[in-house]
Amino acid sequence: MTRGAHLIVSGLAKSYGSVVALAPTDLEVAPGEFFALIGPSGSGKTTLLGAIVGFIAPSAGSVRLDGAEIVAVPPYKRNIGMVFQNYTLFPHMSVAENIAFPLRMRNLPRSEIEARVARMLDMVRLPGFGARMPAQLSGGQQQRVALARAASYDPPLLLMDEPLGALDKNLREEMQYEIKQFHHAIGATILYVTHDQDEAASMSDRIAIVNQARVAQIGSARALYERPRNAFVASFLGEANLFGVARATRLDAETMRVETQNGFAFITAAADGADPTAAPLVACIRPEAIRIGDAQEANALRGRIIDVVYTAGTIHYRVEIAPGHVVGIRLPAMRQARDLAVGAEIRIGWNAADMILIPRD
Amino acid sequence: MSLDVGTRKAPRAALAAFVVLIFAYLLLPTFFVVPMSFSNQPYLSFPPPGWSLRWYEAMWNNSDWTRATLSSVLVGIPTAILSVVLGTLAALATLRGGLRWAATASALIIAPMMLPHIILAIGLYPLLLKLGLLRSYVGVVIGHTVIAMPLVFITVSAALRNYPEQLELAAMTCGADRWRTFRHVTLPMIRVGMFSGAILAFASSFDELMLSLFLTGSTTRTLPRLIWEQLNFYLTPAIAAVATLLLAFSLVMLAIVAVLGRDSQRPGVARA
Repeated sequence: MTRGAHLIVSGLAKSYGSVVALAPTDLEVAPGEFFALIGPSGSGKTTLLGAIVGFIAPSAGSVRLDGAEIVAVPPYKRNIGMVFQNYTLFPHMSVAENIAFPLRMRNLPRSEIEARVARMLDMVRLPGFGARMPAQLSGGQQQRVALARAASYDPPLLLMDEPLGALDKNLREEMQYEIKQFHHAIGATILYVTHDQDEAASMSDRIAIVNQARVAQIGSARALYERPRNAFVASFLGEANLFGVARATRLDAETMRVETQNGFAFITAAADGADPTAAPLVACIRPEAIRIGDAQEANALRGRIIDVVYTAGTIHYRVEIAPGHVVGIRLPAMRQARDLAVGAEIRIGWNAADMILIPRD
Repeated sequence: MSLDVGTRKAPRAALAAFVVLIFAYLLLPTFFVVPMSFSNQPYLSFPPPGWSLRWYEAMWNNSDWTRATLSSVLVGIPTAILSVVLGTLAALATLRGGLRWAATASALIIAPMMLPHIILAIGLYPLLLKLGLLRSYVGVVIGHTVIAMPLVFITVSAALRNYPEQLELAAMTCGADRWRTFRHVTLPMIRVGMFSGAILAFASSFDELMLSLFLTGSTTRTLPRLIWEQLNFYLTPAIAAVATLLLAFSLVMLAIVAVLGRDSQRPGVARA
């Protein structure tokens, strides 16, 4: 088992002429950590990965692996493992030859190469597949071979660029589990790029959300969801009901009174320095924090159900609270005794503590 | 949804006839030379009044033909090798080099294929004269490589486009430097394209006339040039015999390219 590398990225930036592909970025990944990068396509996460592995020469900044600067080191000397979205197995080599390739490049003795290939095939649960050609394997099998190839030389850092992006949903979930198991077995530090927030949340220790060429926020899935730093993070992770804030006044130590731009008034959790005249603010309430019924919440509204969707134990309502203004509500289906249908007039409400004030940008 | 073939029989037959006609138009004139070569008469005629192998014998006994064949090979092989080296490097540079002017470079590389050979010949003549390379093998090889290199460039470019660049990046993360990446990943992928290109380059040199007329001399004249000269003086079926052998040789090379092309498309070869 390898000791995972300590990765420190500081001030790493890349621009092509006047186009900024990556604004100066700082990132620290602990040894053995499973760290995910998520963000919309074109947000800069692949640029960041490319600069770390060495395909892209950064315009500025440094990348250090266990203290050693690697920005000037060519990719073939960085000793970083990489798994691509499209498997990228060498089609003219058998499965065993693919896994052996990095070992041959390191001039390991033949007996050790054979032993390692056999061990890697066992680890990815493909024993006996060594003689097959990549084209004879399914997508999931090919990606397991790619995993075995990238890890065969015990790289202390393993990069994965949307490794499950080409697989269908069921297989993806199975592979998520396998990659986690694999991570535990090899102990390497893993930097995992995905655009799937559920995948990132279920697999990683920490997540960095990347947007518009910069890291928007870094934290655990729960921290990002419960304490988003801005409106982008709030709406990128899960669903968020956002209201632009026009005025905010403090009521007491815990609460504030907020008037929204569309004329609603809410009681929210207090936020230090929340001044909508200084920087645009939004009030954010998560769909599962809203309740339906005549409860005694600080915020109470009337609305009309305009859409009901049932998915795997959860009901999603869309409720119009004013013409053109809709909030999403998500509740466990088993708790919804009353059969609420489209067109029903209802009361909804939420606690002041569940509604947070965050910067819009 | 399926096509009901039964009701479309008539248009299909018409289409088939049309296709046959096109193929006949493309290939039949070339094959007219074959029966003419087996004539028993001392002049070119179609159809020949009688049959014999005497013109093949005459050709075999004339040292001019064998020497010209040797010249063609001595020009064709270096042309093919030079074209493969230059064409492959050019294809790698334009498709993998990350050059900003790659599209312009591609157009310039392919240009000699489109431009009239006679212009190239007129341009090369004084240049090679000055260099003292006129009528030498080296001079013709230089000329032929100009027109043969684009063929290799095209076949190797096609091979390179056939698989994703990521394979090469993957090899580098595995610890292969640029040379070993080329040796173990790129080369096996483009080998067939390089070989097809080499055969096309050789064939284009082997039947090239215009440059050979200008650039070869009496000791270095190639087969097409000898045919041309013989046509001017002696119009015997020996020319048809040479042409028939040339045709057979070209068909063999064409078949090799076709087989290589088919093999390179078998399942398992890169997909993006």
